[in-house]
Amino acid sequence: MFIRHETIEKNAVLMLVLTAITIAIGGIIEIVPLFTIETTVEHVKGVRPYAPLELMGRNIYVREGCYLCHSQQIRALKDEVERYGHYSLAAESMYDHPFQWGSKRIGPDLARVGGKYSNDWHYAHLINPQALVPESLMPKYAFLAQTPLNYDIIEEHLRKNRGVGVPYTDEQIANARKDLEAQADPAADNEALLKRYPKAVTVAGNGRAPTELDALVAYLQVLGTMVDFADTSTEQLQQ
Amino acid sequence: MSGSAAMSDIALAGIGLGRAAAAEHVSARAEVYNMDVVRKFLIASVFWAVVAFLVGVYLALELSWPSLNFGLSFLNFGRLRPVHTSAAIFAFGGSALFAKSFYVVQRTCRARLFGGEALANFVFWGYQFFIVMAALSYVMGYSQGQEYAEPEWHIDLFLTVVWVAYGVAYIGTVLKREEPHIYVANWFYMTFILTIAVLHIGNNIALPVSIYAAKSYSAYAGVQNALIQWWYGHNAVGFFLTVPFLGMMYYFIPKQAGRPIYSYRLSIVHFWSLTFMYIWAGPHHLHYTALPDWTQTLGAVFSVMLWMPSWGGMINGLMTLSGAWDKLRTDPALRFSVAAVGFYGMSTFEGPMMSIREVNALAHYTDWVIGHVHSGALGWVAFISFGATYYLVPLLWNRARLYSTRLVSWHFWIATLGIVFYITSMWVAGIMEGLMWRAYDQFGFLQYSFAEAVNAVHPYFVIRMLGGVLFLIGALIMVYNLIMTVYSPTTEVSVTERRDAALPAGAALAGE
Amino acid sequence: MEEVSEVVVGLLMLVLGFLGLVMASGALDNEIYIFGLSLAGFALVFELGLIRRHFDRKDAARVRVGRHV
Repeated sequence: MFIRHETIEKNAVLMLVLTAITIAIGGIIEIVPLFTIETTVEHVKGVRPYAPLELMGRNIYVREGCYLCHSQQIRALKDEVERYGHYSLAAESMYDHPFQWGSKRIGPDLARVGGKYSNDWHYAHLINPQALVPESLMPKYAFLAQTPLNYDIIEEHLRKNRGVGVPYTDEQIANARKDLEAQADPAADNEALLKRYPKAVTVAGNGRAPTELDALVAYLQVLGTMVDFADTSTEQLQQ
Repeated sequence: MSGSAAMSDIALAGIGLGRAAAAEHVSARAEVYNMDVVRKFLIASVFWAVVAFLVGVYLALELSWPSLNFGLSFLNFGRLRPVHTSAAIFAFGGSALFAKSFYVVQRTCRARLFGGEALANFVFWGYQFFIVMAALSYVMGYSQGQEYAEPEWHIDLFLTVVWVAYGVAYIGTVLKREEPHIYVANWFYMTFILTIAVLHIGNNIALPVSIYAAKSYSAYAGVQNALIQWWYGHNAVGFFLTVPFLGMMYYFIPKQAGRPIYSYRLSIVHFWSLTFMYIWAGPHHLHYTALPDWTQTLGAVFSVMLWMPSWGGMINGLMTLSGAWDKLRTDPALRFSVAAVGFYGMSTFEGPMMSIREVNALAHYTDWVIGHVHSGALGWVAFISFGATYYLVPLLWNRARLYSTRLVSWHFWIATLGIVFYITSMWVAGIMEGLMWRAYDQFGFLQYSFAEAVNAVHPYFVIRMLGGVLFLIGALIMVYNLIMTVYSPTTEVSVTERRDAALPAGAALAGE
Repeated sequence: MEEVSEVVVGLLMLVLGFLGLVMASGALDNEIYIFGLSLAGFALVFELGLIRRHFDRKDAARVRVGRHV
């Protein structure tokens, strides 16, 4: 060896510095290019920031630990594409803070669950999963239907998302409360909502104040629906 | 100092066992070292071990019979699972590491813990506070939503303060050591402290909605977030559950076996290569995903290469027993440590294999991964901790011996049987899930619905739960044994002295 | 060593405890409220422990001196 290891062994500071260099190399080589290589995230059309109600639903998805049993990442494998739909693109989670790709499927993948089932199915299923899928291992989320959604600082949620890179416009932030309430009320006029957030699905509401369950269903219904694959070329999918 | 004593001191340089032991014997009462904090962390580690195993068993029950979720938000699988992983990794593993690293650093540096009692107490109580706050926040429904990094920003910041205090106490002790060489176990502990700090801060950068609200948004999104999370997540395995536990191995197996480390040279090579390679392995959690292919390939290549330094450590640990294999028959505590190294070897072979893309295509998202994690967590992490705990408790409480070695033996076999139940059932369940998800019928359609696969693994989930119960029973036997040991009469003659007398001269590591 | 350590850690806990109170006072959710109060309580108990240790040590020193005299 060109250096005597004894020198390192007798000098704690030197050892720490060398260790720091040793661990830095791999991390830097793998992580930094992901921020600098421009094609890491594909250039596809349709991916938009989450509507306020969807964002709040997503926060419930995160806090309840749904990612511990459901992945949101369809791998580029034949059977997965046939079972769940087009493989997941990096672009589809580009506004996900944090990402929810997951690592375990105790339940099925949810990357493209949006639009697959009706709102009613989702409500019934979340309240009592075994009533619809007897084999299911999923806990009952009926308590979400009883909990009113807390959206006191919804504007702040959008603003902080903008702070970490989600392109919410001033208009979207200013109308956050209105948009949220409109999406949770089928009777409301949702034209402005749809203009700001295309494909946003309006959920039950029933005239009550929006519940946490309403938000969660709104989020589930938008999953994987933003990109129109019929209108996407192979070049756009290249990484 | 006589000539021969000086000679053996040179031989022991860097390991510091002889003189440190003598020093402890001379003033066993006044305690040259701060053993108070070691005892506290040791008790905490045993307590959290039982908590982690108990929650784990309950989660296994929920997966076997989902009605046990009772529809109660705080009992739901999604909220309890982080309690289990945090209790196992950070509370049990962490407390065990604090205890043993504080013990080892003081003994091998022949220096009292830096920073006085107040700093040590802050590290202990601060860390326990972190654990309780984190667990409470999960069941109340606050989570960052990133595996093994679930605590929200305010708890992360608090942990950072505690971690810095730990680093100051530990590295301060190394800096004021009276031994010229830093013993190999400390290399591993220092790397652990440094790397975990980097990973923890790097992965948890987030913007809180308000400083008065627990919710925060990660600074990273999507694919970058995924890679940084698994850079963190896999190195939580690498630098929290492997590197410092190797430090434990490098101190306690030589002590228990009364033999020097097999090869000094191997420990250097395997230490640096392990440190260098582990950090690259994260992307193997993201095969076939939207992560660019080049990153996946790099991750897989380094994961496979990682097999070598891992087995370097295993060989160094196992070969230390050359000439002392008979002790396995008489010392069941040593049996734990050695079986741990065996399990380490097994899971560090399984891991590289699973990180090969074609194998990963089958194994990913299935219970095979869960089984793999547990063969490492139960077989390696828990067993090496149990071995060191059985060794330390009589020493630290100044008892002649453990209350019962027969009970240690019972613990060993019950726990081993539990692990066998656990990992074999998860192998079967995992491979079955993987095969059912990709099975096609004769018409070219997918043969099984997702729910059919869920149904098929039910028996294996029950077997897994039974394995967990066995492991828990083993741990309870340990608790009983340790309590009875502490309540047995004290000895006037230091146990350390007798054990060290058996240590052959030339337990050399450094000075080669 | 012990004194310096006690002063430094004591000041750190003072800052943490104060931050806890600030967080609890403005809390927008249960988590921050409980965390803030717990942090303040933890800091308080820890400071009391530091004070106790300090006087215990003083007493022990006095007893030792007394015996020698």
